[in-house]
Amino acid sequence: MSSSAALCSATFVDPGYDHIVELVHQRDRVGQRRLESLELDLYEPCGISLGRITVDPRQETLDLAALVAPRAAGVARVMVAFDARYDTRIFPYRPHHYGYLRRRDSPEAPLYYAVNATLGGVPDRLETAMRQNNFETYLFLSRPGGERYALRLGSLARFSTVQAQVITYHGDARAVVPVTLMPHQHAEVELPLERGGERLRRVELKTLFRLASYVVGRRVDSDALVLFDHLFTYFK
Amino acid sequence: MTVEPGPEHDRLLLCYCTDLTIGQLREACREGRWPLPGKERTGKLCTGCLGDLLFCLERFSGGTADSRPAPTQR
Repeated sequence: MSSSAALCSATFVDPGYDHIVELVHQRDRVGQRRLESLELDLYEPCGISLGRITVDPRQETLDLAALVAPRAAGVARVMVAFDARYDTRIFPYRPHHYGYLRRRDSPEAPLYYAVNATLGGVPDRLETAMRQNNFETYLFLSRPGGERYALRLGSLARFSTVQAQVITYHGDARAVVPVTLMPHQHAEVELPLERGGERLRRVELKTLFRLASYVVGRRVDSDALVLFDHLFTYFK
Repeated sequence: MTVEPGPEHDRLLLCYCTDLTIGQLREACREGRWPLPGKERTGKLCTGCLGDLLFCLERFSGGTADSRPAPTQR
């Protein structure tokens, strides 16, 4: 019986940042656990492929910025899909990739994040999805932080178009922004800091199927990323 | 631009949770055997492939009610 399983995670690469990904976060008593294989697919915002890269899974970390830069000159944001194969006897749940992100010319602290698992990694034994619509949410601090926020969304679909809803809450005011993504397209949706005198308190993402999604925050004065985080999933 | 699921895609993994390829789905639909045993929850676990599953089922003309998303309530 095959013990091989698959997981496709995704992140976004911005030019001007150091961006390192730890391929496997888990360790055991003997040492680092390894994937069976790993291939990266790079996409422009419009969904055009920038190529596929085969990665040696014995590597502990990957310099993502160095890999992407020569293939994406002049591209403002690249979506990178991590197509991993792994042995379920080694990873009983799923492997986790973790990222380190730091703008080179900025005094801001580095950001650490979990790379968004988008396709796979949910074993059939888990009774998670009773209904198919995905809801993800993120709560913002109530005090001003000198930041502006956005939601980054990417589709890993090969054929289908997705219509998502980005829902913002400013106090009791709810606003819906529709977003349509063709296969492998990605977008950044600005989230207004204030509306009607109320600060941004929460954002929700509603889609038919799971997207790669991150909340990002940038310093207003320098534009440096100071937040790069996943939303929290719940099924309603 | 819409890409159609042709035979060149048959080796692609459609569902990363149930390990279903485009080719397996195409063949199962052609033979009227969808959903295949053990693949019933395709599209219902991480949900990431659900759009492509519905797209392919429509193209392969083999959709069944079991493969459609359940109605949602808000």
